[in-house]
Amino acid sequence: MIRYILWRVTVMIPTLVMISMLVFTIINLPPGDYFESYVAEMRAIGETADMQEIDELRAKYGFDKPLPIRYLHWVGGMMVGDFGYSFEYRLPVSDVVGDRLWLTILVSVVTIIVTWLLAFPIGIYSATHQYSWGDYGLTLFGLIGLAVPNFVLALVLMYFANVWFGTSIGHLMDQRYLNQPMSWEKFKSILEHLWIPVIIIGTAGTAGMVRRLRANLLDELRKQYVMTARAKGLHPFKVLIKYPLRMSLNFFISDIGSILPQIISGAEITAVVLSLETTGPMLIKALQTQDMYLAGSFLMFLALLTVVGMLISDIALALFDPRIRLYGGRTR
Amino acid sequence: MIKRRTILGLMASSLLPLNARAAFTGAASLDAEIKQGKLPDISGRLPRNPRVVNLGAKKLAAGQHGGVVRMLIGGQRDIRLMPINSYSRLVGYDEQLNLHADILESFDAQDDRIFTFKLREGHKWSSGSPLTSEDFRYAWEDVMNNRDLHRGGIPVELRVNGKGPRFEMVDALTVRYSWEEPNPDFLAQLASPTPLLIAMPSAYLKQFHPKYQSAEELARLIKQYRVEDWDDLHKLMSRTVRPENPDLPTLDPWYNTTKPPSGQFIFKRNAYFHRVDENGLQLPYIDQMTLDVSSPDLIAAKAGSGESDLQMANVDFSDYTFLKAAEKRFPLTVDLWKRTQGSRVALIPNLNCKDDVWRKVFQDVRVRRALSLGINRQEINKAVFFGLAHEAGNSVLPDSPLFKREYEQAWASHDVDQANRLLDEAGLANRNDDGLRLLPDGRVAKIIIESAGESTFESDVLELITDHWLKIGIAIFTRVSQREIFRKRVIGGETVMGIWMGLDNGVPTADMSPKELAPTFDDQLQWPVWGLHYLSGGTDGHPPDLPEAIELLELMKKWKTAGTYEQREAIWHSMLEIFTSQVFTIGIVNQSLQPLVKSSKLQNIPENGLFGYDPTSYLGVYMPDTFWYKEDQA
Repeated sequence: MIRYILWRVTVMIPTLVMISMLVFTIINLPPGDYFESYVAEMRAIGETADMQEIDELRAKYGFDKPLPIRYLHWVGGMMVGDFGYSFEYRLPVSDVVGDRLWLTILVSVVTIIVTWLLAFPIGIYSATHQYSWGDYGLTLFGLIGLAVPNFVLALVLMYFANVWFGTSIGHLMDQRYLNQPMSWEKFKSILEHLWIPVIIIGTAGTAGMVRRLRANLLDELRKQYVMTARAKGLHPFKVLIKYPLRMSLNFFISDIGSILPQIISGAEITAVVLSLETTGPMLIKALQTQDMYLAGSFLMFLALLTVVGMLISDIALALFDPRIRLYGGRTR
Repeated sequence: MIKRRTILGLMASSLLPLNARAAFTGAASLDAEIKQGKLPDISGRLPRNPRVVNLGAKKLAAGQHGGVVRMLIGGQRDIRLMPINSYSRLVGYDEQLNLHADILESFDAQDDRIFTFKLREGHKWSSGSPLTSEDFRYAWEDVMNNRDLHRGGIPVELRVNGKGPRFEMVDALTVRYSWEEPNPDFLAQLASPTPLLIAMPSAYLKQFHPKYQSAEELARLIKQYRVEDWDDLHKLMSRTVRPENPDLPTLDPWYNTTKPPSGQFIFKRNAYFHRVDENGLQLPYIDQMTLDVSSPDLIAAKAGSGESDLQMANVDFSDYTFLKAAEKRFPLTVDLWKRTQGSRVALIPNLNCKDDVWRKVFQDVRVRRALSLGINRQEINKAVFFGLAHEAGNSVLPDSPLFKREYEQAWASHDVDQANRLLDEAGLANRNDDGLRLLPDGRVAKIIIESAGESTFESDVLELITDHWLKIGIAIFTRVSQREIFRKRVIGGETVMGIWMGLDNGVPTADMSPKELAPTFDDQLQWPVWGLHYLSGGTDGHPPDLPEAIELLELMKKWKTAGTYEQREAIWHSMLEIFTSQVFTIGIVNQSLQPLVKSSKLQNIPENGLFGYDPTSYLGVYMPDTFWYKEDQA
């Protein structure tokens, strides 16, 4: 087991190096750089951008140097916790991200919990009552959630929340609580706004999870040990929880790997439409304006979380299911 | 004109009798701070000779202090709107676009060469430190002439034929700038939405300047603010275009109190603001401006649900019906203002495009005229702008003293026969089986029109033009891209034709520079390469090779040295004449409407205003410091 974990950890390093190269290449692909869009923006609003200033900025941040050197500079900075400078905000990247990270985690954690709370009972019900009206009904409901684009749902919910409950449009709290320390009123305001993104992001996730749980559980329910347990008079609910449900949870554990990055990135498009104070809109904006250090740091962070998440879920799976652990380092 | 300017400059200070100093009243919201001894009382805050704004004379109501105005901005960078809207300038325009002394007590312009500025005695920055000629000297000597801060030397705007002015501190309240040749643009630069900064709060900024600060302390500050070197530090702390530094003293009616990054920026009243109303109340009336950062796409929806007290940015004419419907549910009023662009949408042939054949074709004036004649502007106006815009080429608006009907109507009628005839004459007479014209090299005349994809108007308009131009044998296709990429492609010559807006300033006076009409910038989509040549001082791009473009450039240079108003006016007219008759840009409609959402209680905002950046500074010339809440009218 330890060898397996060690092996997985060593593999992570070249993976991350590869990812960092990819990220760096991709954010450098579009023509021009941040300074170019900066000038365009300034001109568009009638401001004069000093060409000299632009050239100086370029030199200062090493944009006149060849790509590989800039890459090393970037990676080297990240190693010592310097995530670079956001040109858009004219602040170090770490300052820019700040509070947003916590709000993002809040939205994501609540969404994930809600998804689980909904998906498990529904999935179990659907599997045990296969082809019943309830199964069809819940499946239909779930598929609608999956099929309706999140941003449409966001617009609809935003409208009704405003018309029916007077909730202010978009954002995670009323504007007057922005920048204020946490208080009971602020917390209530957050709760009042939180349900909208949670429902929107949650519906899609729920539907997928229900379907997978149902399918896995159906496979198990038909196996002989279930029949035997039932035949021997074990309470049907106990049978279900104790054996087939546990056996059908492999997919759930491997999903844990993707939960970590999901917590940070959330659902970007929904967040953009709802104008949430999370990291998603910031990442998209950074990519659009070619604010490359900000975007790059985000992407690297997401990559790191994905890799770590995968490690965690691999270890969990190995602990959980002995059949998996044997592969990995030892067979090689 | 020299006379007019001088008189106006003096007038501003002497028009109204001085009230007794005891008669001035500050806002009650500052009383607590005065009690605590943090602020002097009103007599210690106003200049000896404040600028008296006579609202009654402008047919506006004098108001009362108090209230918060909430506005929405589409991103953090949009706090730049505050200094633009606040519009406190050394000299500034009024609604009729006349220049007045504002921060200055008076100014004197001799032959447009020697400018003498007189400051108000006792005028203070928002920090309470006095505004004196030392602040001008600091900006001139220690900033503009400092090679670390301005590597290229003094700003281009201050140079006439490459030579800068002579700066003199006459006394503590008087400064003088003198050039060897006229610099008629100088005052307009100072009055522009993003003015030339010739005075800086030296008392504050000196702590970031090595001339006045010890190296150790400077090193500590550089570390504290996480910048690379002192010039970065100085630039960061002195940035006024985006007022992100809450400690930077200002002369505006409100100053920022929020440090970025933030989702909300709070601008509080400047207790030292230099204007008073006719009753002696210190302006601004409004205590606080709150700018909430939202996503640009949500702003119209939020404004329509009563979340903004004053909104023009990020709402467009297409939101008008929705906003108007919101009037019933919220205490809002939606007005329509007139946009000042020379054209709301314009097709812009790239005379510098890489494609040799198209370049030659477009450089033929007959083709440009034919393309313009081929557009049915009336249909576009009716279909896309509900008939509320005005069908015209890209030119100045009737609100400009330079307006002439023949400019805006030059080649702007719909005449398919004449257009076909012109195209035949221009050597595009051959057609293929589909009736499309053939280029001289045998290709079919298909134009790909590129857009930055920022407004839905553009695609709607292009859809209609597709049909119009088929009748003159030209096919068009649309390619939507993204602003940065679009711009880059135009400059690189890859774009044959673009769609964008017309002249930025559609309401110029002869005293404003006609640079938009000549190739002077690399973002002029009709001739970016020629513009770049001028902009870079001849080191980049190519000089214009079309006689009319050369002539425009020559005229523009002549304007810069013209000594009298009449000369400048004559130059403007010849330039407009060339620009419009040559149809360098194909304007379609102008004077389109811009909704302005305001709280019904907010007073003194005109119902019909001009909406534009230059020269009206959005709300600037309408003086937001004179807006106030009428409380009894719920």
